[in-house]
Amino acid sequence: MATDTLKSKPGAQGGATAGLRRLLLDNGALTALIVLVIAMSALSGDFLTTDNLLNVGVQAAVTAILAFGVTFVIVSAGIDLSVGSVAALSATVLAWSATSHGVPVVLAVVLAVATGVAAGLVNGFLIAYGKLPPFIATLAMLSVGRGLSLVVSDGSPIPFPDSVSHLGDTLGGWLPVPVLVMVVLGLVAALILGRTYIGRSMYAIGGNEEAARLSGLRVKKQKLAIYALSGLFAAAAGIVLAARLSSAQPQAADGYELDAIAAVVIGGASLAGGTGKASGTLIGALILAVLRNGLNLLSVSAFWQQVVIGVVIALAVLLDTVRRKAGASTPAAGAGSPGGRRKQAATYVLAAVVTVAVVGATSFLHGGSGSANPKVGLSLSTLNNPFFVQIRSGAQAEAKKRGVDLTVTDAQNDASQQADQLQNFTSSSYGAVIVNPVDSDAAGPAVRAADKADIPVVAVDRGVNKAKTETLVASDNVAGGELAAKTVAEKLGGSGKIVILQGQAGTSAARERAEGFAEGLKAYPGIKVLAEQPADFDRTKGLDVMSNLLQAHPDVEGVVAANDEMALGAIKALGSKAGRSVAVVGFDGTPDGLKAVKDGTLYASVAQQPSQLGRIAVDNALRALDGKKVDATVKVPVKVVTRKNVAGFAG
Amino acid sequence: MSSPDELLRIEGIRKTFPGVVALDGVDFDLRRGEVHVLLGENGAGKSTLIKMLSGAYTPDAGRIVVDGEEVRINGAQDSERLGIATIYQEFNLVPDLTVAENVFLGRQPRRFGMIDRKRMEADAEVLLKRVGLDVPPGARVRELGVARLQMVEIAKALSLDARVLVMDEPTAVLTSEEVERLFAIVRRLREDGVGIVFITHHLEEIAALGDRVTVIRDGRSVGQVPARTPEDELVRLMVGRSIEQQYPRARPETGEALLTVEGLTREGVFHDVGFEVRAGEVVGIAGLVGAGRTEVARAVFGADPYDAGAVRVEGAPLRRHDVNAAMAAGIGLVPEDRKGQGLVLDASVEENLGLVTMRSATHAGLVDRKGQRAAAARVAGQLGVRMAGLGQHVRTLSGGNQQKVVIGKWLLADTKVLILDEPTRGIDVGAKVEIYQLVNELTAAGAAVLMISSDLPEVLGMSDRVVVMAQGRVAGELTAAEATQDTVMALAVSTRHDSGDTRRDNGTEATGGH
Repeated sequence: MATDTLKSKPGAQGGATAGLRRLLLDNGALTALIVLVIAMSALSGDFLTTDNLLNVGVQAAVTAILAFGVTFVIVSAGIDLSVGSVAALSATVLAWSATSHGVPVVLAVVLAVATGVAAGLVNGFLIAYGKLPPFIATLAMLSVGRGLSLVVSDGSPIPFPDSVSHLGDTLGGWLPVPVLVMVVLGLVAALILGRTYIGRSMYAIGGNEEAARLSGLRVKKQKLAIYALSGLFAAAAGIVLAARLSSAQPQAADGYELDAIAAVVIGGASLAGGTGKASGTLIGALILAVLRNGLNLLSVSAFWQQVVIGVVIALAVLLDTVRRKAGASTPAAGAGSPGGRRKQAATYVLAAVVTVAVVGATSFLHGGSGSANPKVGLSLSTLNNPFFVQIRSGAQAEAKKRGVDLTVTDAQNDASQQADQLQNFTSSSYGAVIVNPVDSDAAGPAVRAADKADIPVVAVDRGVNKAKTETLVASDNVAGGELAAKTVAEKLGGSGKIVILQGQAGTSAARERAEGFAEGLKAYPGIKVLAEQPADFDRTKGLDVMSNLLQAHPDVEGVVAANDEMALGAIKALGSKAGRSVAVVGFDGTPDGLKAVKDGTLYASVAQQPSQLGRIAVDNALRALDGKKVDATVKVPVKVVTRKNVAGFAG
Repeated sequence: MSSPDELLRIEGIRKTFPGVVALDGVDFDLRRGEVHVLLGENGAGKSTLIKMLSGAYTPDAGRIVVDGEEVRINGAQDSERLGIATIYQEFNLVPDLTVAENVFLGRQPRRFGMIDRKRMEADAEVLLKRVGLDVPPGARVRELGVARLQMVEIAKALSLDARVLVMDEPTAVLTSEEVERLFAIVRRLREDGVGIVFITHHLEEIAALGDRVTVIRDGRSVGQVPARTPEDELVRLMVGRSIEQQYPRARPETGEALLTVEGLTREGVFHDVGFEVRAGEVVGIAGLVGAGRTEVARAVFGADPYDAGAVRVEGAPLRRHDVNAAMAAGIGLVPEDRKGQGLVLDASVEENLGLVTMRSATHAGLVDRKGQRAAAARVAGQLGVRMAGLGQHVRTLSGGNQQKVVIGKWLLADTKVLILDEPTRGIDVGAKVEIYQLVNELTAAGAAVLMISSDLPEVLGMSDRVVVMAQGRVAGELTAAEATQDTVMALAVSTRHDSGDTRRDNGTEATGGH
């Protein structure tokens, strides 16, 4: 934008090649993207297909749309951490008003967009008039937005109205609407940044706020508008995200603000403000999407993926800084200093080599043998929990025994990342797919796509709604919940005071177990529930929540936790009380949980058999692949493990 | 080579930046125990040259010879090893560390891995004594004034056993008494055999301190002359022509009062300030630092609030603390801090020039960038902004050209009342005269100019009337005929009763006729 005149100086040698070289030299992110695409194509035959590239586009869409909004804020030397939450809130408001309250869809969309704008205005107001640092104001909004979306949705996903869900479909059978929305909003963002008063003000305010003010720019009002625009784009991103999943998830887009910020910075913007372009941001978002997609295709282990993504983000920005530095100290085109050019070229080569090496090494380290074995994909909701790690080991053991290439991906409890992973399995024609849904509703559209491609899908642990799966391999959560309630009630002799630690709001396991607890406790009117609080299936949170509850209710006699991790956290909080004056009951029967049962601190755990779940899921997937008949549901029994029977029990 | 005393020789240095040839064939040499002045307009290439010595830039062609050997200086470490220390206009000190810590930053004496505070402060004390600075080594740098900061920088250079000391406009920020003290230290260093490269715009300092002068013009060294060369001759070498008149004020007929300020008061800052500026008139505001001149200017422009009083433009009262109201009434402000308040440094010339007019160039939310570019090209041509193109970032322009851009954005907005706060600070003689010409053109066209300046000869030379402020009040008003150095000074110190303040012996921050 600002350097047109310098750029348009005739180069040393005219012509298209020189132009292309200039373009690449002037744009480090674009170079990084091209290097990455070349590396991925070389490493995976499935990468460079039209289908897969459209996939990449779809997967970049939400991040890109969020990032366009964040670009405005970053160019004006601010930061917006709330976009992920605001996206989720807007989508939730849309679904809540349209689906739950019968508001006309058009009005609901307007309402959702207004929600995003309002959140942005609040941010802008706090920053411009309340003089809060942008980091703090938007951090507050991050929490408020997420909380409100949980409040509005009551913690459960709400089905998205069908008419809006078409935003997640394809146009003419091949062009995904999210890609179209991304491109259109990208053009809008470019227009705003390049041509409008507010856009030009962003550069002035970001470059020197005081100079802008003294030149008559109404800086405070502009800031309001800038954050409102960011909220508007966040709302759009939230709607596209929910449309893809046909479901508004209160926990959607968690952590996306960081992806968005990364995309903006990779795209060449400076966090100090004053620079940045919409095209750069788009490239940044594409880099992230290409990486995730490519690493999935290459069967890079879920854990290594995060390492690689971090390394590539750092490399991409490093490349750009080095380029700028070289640009600043090399003389004008024509004068020619071969040393500088050579150094620059060396940097690019180095970056390319490192990228290829990192991606290649991780893929060869963990990739399959590339033989004619059937390929099966397993998408787990998370690997941050021993239960799912055990599902994985069971599945891997079975796959090895049966000679199957098993690719395991980790959705990190993010429904849309899971949709991406399932899409990647589908587009690279896996033989069968096993899915452990983050959310039963949200997995629907992606599983339907697999169905369409005639790929058998097996659900494990949680079902998939509104899509055909060959079978559901699961323990019965409701029954397990009832068992847990019964166990603690019996232990207390039918009367006593207990607290319940619930799982992560919005997940089906948390809902079903809570349902089971409630159902089971009905039979014991003498049991008084003092408090019921979510601790997100997390041990640390279990510890914190229990410590807090103990302050209010020191007389508690029993604890029911929706998984062992939280139970173990509660035991930490209870200290010596655990197992003596307080009976703690967990759920899952993880190795740590069983050890605690053995030690007597955990009274009982309702044990699932996760490695069995994994084993049976792979078995059923292979049967389906061979065209054999499978049962609609396979129930893996749960059982209460106490000190008496723990010795004979192995997950 | 030529002389056993030679410390440093630079031959045929060339350096280009994208679109600009900054240096093209500069020769320079420095002997032991001399003060060699580098003289040149802003943008002539002095700063680029000294950055070659400090290792910030490397030359594209040419040689740097230290002690008879050709060297490559690739960074601060290299220059430190060669005994070259540079003191920039912007100091490299950490405000929240102590004086001693700053002097030994990165080289703090250590014992068992811990910093040996005692030894560090003792060593620092010796150095501070050498530069005649009487602050405790444990004092925080934040608490020191500008002159003392400079002494700390010099002490830091001495701690590195520097044999070559490069000083970039060290006197620009000092009062005359502080300048004298600095000179005494520089002379002492010279006696110790240190070679000093001294950059200044103040011609009278050359004869007072220098031994030889190298003049740089447009990236070339155009001459090496002894320091006793007459000032006229130095100016001629520097700008390539002789400057007829330093203050070319043409006084047109004055008209109606355009700007009227009455009883303007902000508690504790300024009190009951009143004056008027008529069409075609230049009113200068003189006074000591801290007299409240800048504060009044900012309040008039609406940048800061005031408690009482009124500002009128052509009789119509202005809303208080409202920059946009002031602009709508036709007031423009060229602020004191050019880089911090006047410019978006990493934006282009075109964008900076278009900043004020951007709103009026917006139709249906879209900025007419073509029109903006045409307007910017016109005004940049009119002002003679020296640049590679409208797309050049203003950060890379010289000070004088930056100031032209700041003034240019107000010209584009058809400003009727232009407030200039220190319009020529840090700007070379040639560019100064161009800015004075501009002021003449503005007033000839019927605009009013309010000029704040600490450069007393400038105030006297350019103003039609001088308002003198002291301690936040108007101490008096003088016509151009009445105003002399003495009458202005008498007013500037008039309400000061204290005798303890010895900051300047001639009573003004004006450091004489530069």
